[in-house]
Amino acid sequence: MTQELSTVQSWLQEQAKAHAEPEWLRQMRERAWEAFQNAPVVRLEKTDLSRRTWDVVPPAVAAVAETGAEAGQLIQSLTEQSDAYVYVRDGQVVQVRVPADWSETGVIVADLHSAAQQHADLVQQYLGQVVSVEESKWSALNAAVWQSGLFVYVPRRVSVPGTVHYVVEDTGSGVGIAPRALVIADAESRLAFAEVHISSGDKPSGPVRSHVLEVIAKSGAQVTVVTNHAFHAGPTNFSTSRARVENDASVDWVFTDVGDGFTVGIVESDLVGSGSRSTVRALGLGYGRQHLDLTASMLHRGKYSISDIVMHGVLRGRANSIYRSSTHIFKHAVGAGSEQHDRMLVLDGTARADAIPMLLIDENDVQRCGHAASVGRIDESQIYYLMSRGISKSEAMRMIIWGHLQPTVDAIPSEAVRTLVRSRVDEELSE
Amino acid sequence: MASPHFKITGLKVAVEDKEIVKGLDLEIRGGEIHAIMGPNGTGKSTLASALMGHPAYEVTGGQVTLDGQDVLDMAVDERARAGLFLAMQYPAEVPGVSNANFIRTALNARLGEGNEIPVIKFHRQLQEKMKSLNIDPSFAERYLNEGFSGGEKKRNEILQMSMLNPRIVILDEIDSGLDIDALKIVAKAVNDLRSPDVGFLIITHYQRLLEYIVPDFVHVMMQGRIVRSGGRELAQKLEANGYDWLKQELGIEDETVGAEA
Repeated sequence: MTQELSTVQSWLQEQAKAHAEPEWLRQMRERAWEAFQNAPVVRLEKTDLSRRTWDVVPPAVAAVAETGAEAGQLIQSLTEQSDAYVYVRDGQVVQVRVPADWSETGVIVADLHSAAQQHADLVQQYLGQVVSVEESKWSALNAAVWQSGLFVYVPRRVSVPGTVHYVVEDTGSGVGIAPRALVIADAESRLAFAEVHISSGDKPSGPVRSHVLEVIAKSGAQVTVVTNHAFHAGPTNFSTSRARVENDASVDWVFTDVGDGFTVGIVESDLVGSGSRSTVRALGLGYGRQHLDLTASMLHRGKYSISDIVMHGVLRGRANSIYRSSTHIFKHAVGAGSEQHDRMLVLDGTARADAIPMLLIDENDVQRCGHAASVGRIDESQIYYLMSRGISKSEAMRMIIWGHLQPTVDAIPSEAVRTLVRSRVDEELSE
Repeated sequence: MASPHFKITGLKVAVEDKEIVKGLDLEIRGGEIHAIMGPNGTGKSTLASALMGHPAYEVTGGQVTLDGQDVLDMAVDERARAGLFLAMQYPAEVPGVSNANFIRTALNARLGEGNEIPVIKFHRQLQEKMKSLNIDPSFAERYLNEGFSGGEKKRNEILQMSMLNPRIVILDEIDSGLDIDALKIVAKAVNDLRSPDVGFLIITHYQRLLEYIVPDFVHVMMQGRIVRSGGRELAQKLEANGYDWLKQELGIEDETVGAEA
């Protein structure tokens, strides 16, 4: 081995030592790093990545940043509502809290480094199974460099009494970070899980950030997964969230994105099981020069699998969003059914939204497959109606926009997270 | 607040450059109920929408005042806060905004900053009004008019009328699409609100509604003008004999707007 190691590789070796990573994990990271470097320049249909750099900069040795205001408030609320959370800042685990009475249930909430040692069998079996190392340049990047991930395991028939939170704060001092969560809900269990991504501080432009979430819902499990982004101009953000949904299991996604960042994201359910079910509710509020390329995707492989996608976007300024809803019904997925509803409100003439519905149907015997998509301004007759009762024009518009977004916010199971998303939207709408 | 005085003088209204209301005079004082009748296409609903300030209706002449204040100079929301209320024929649906939230926001907009109604008091009032209008309590949390039947929308308009303490109420064909029981409920709500502090303008095709809400004045609109005014007996005569005798008397062949005799 005469070849000089890159700074990233030597950093990874240090990390592996520091966290006493098992051999299989080291090998996985090495394989992923190779795959990342060898993956060709990516071409996306609606997103120009040619001017985005792929520089990966290892985080500073010790994160010195303080907890930002938004993260601080959220952590306090989560403590008050007695919920579980893992709080990560700039790739370092700051705090892990699991209510004492949860331990009897056998639920595991841990950082992924520790879990790789203490629950090696589970982590080794499932890590990279739902979002594979090689599927994209950014999934390879995440698999190579992820730090301070989250691991959740819910045993059979256990109903988790609260919501498990993964709070990921990025203050800008730890660039190129890659959060990763692995969530396993065993048969007949119930889980609500919420990720909150917080960007505080100013980002240098350039770095790439890749986030991966893998969910396994075993037969009959019911899982709600909430992902909340608030990315800001600068980094390129990739977000890959996928669930494998087994027989009679269900996964309900809630995705919110409020910001002016550059993001390519996918939320996908692989409906492998018979009678499996999944929904996506997505909310986007883009401003500034935001670029969001979001795909909500349902892969119907199981018989009688059912899905529903509802996406609501609001665009201001020079924001440019692509909301793609995709349903693929594979051959032999007899009796499958799906619905798609995408509705975008464009508030300013300079903003742009694309709502792209896609239906790929390889099976003749399906129940129902519908889609509806619209992009437009706020309906004048709605403004007139509210004003005719004495409500000012600006308040009327705020109410109509909120009406557009509210049902998605209401679908978030955690009160603290609902409050956070509500204030993110309010703050942006009040400007 | 003093008894309202609403005055329309020589009002002309155009829609897409076509004049629909062609010089209309009407005066409504608190405590009075005026009914405007007339066949389809004579400008009745255009009048109602223009008075409220709908952006598609352009006032091309005349004056409208409420207690001497120029209504035409006011934005839609200012007219409402001045006390004008229009129960619409086709109210908009607003998904995601609950009925209760909407009505409370509207009421608070009328009461002004610092005078907002306490939440509990509001909900108690809302439930009482809903009960008297025979509206299911779940109505409060449903999204504004979304998926409402025609009759439910009409009842929702009347609920808002009852909650918002208007001074001049315009009902635009509130009776269309209502069965007789619903019609009685709507009429009761109007009669309950009747006082020297409120004036009413009721637009209708049929005399049926006027059996339950007895008007003080009845006006007939044809060709964008009021062509005949009288007491409630005028409505009864129209119900019994139709409009033909009046058209003959006035020498009108086609009563709709755009057809000049």
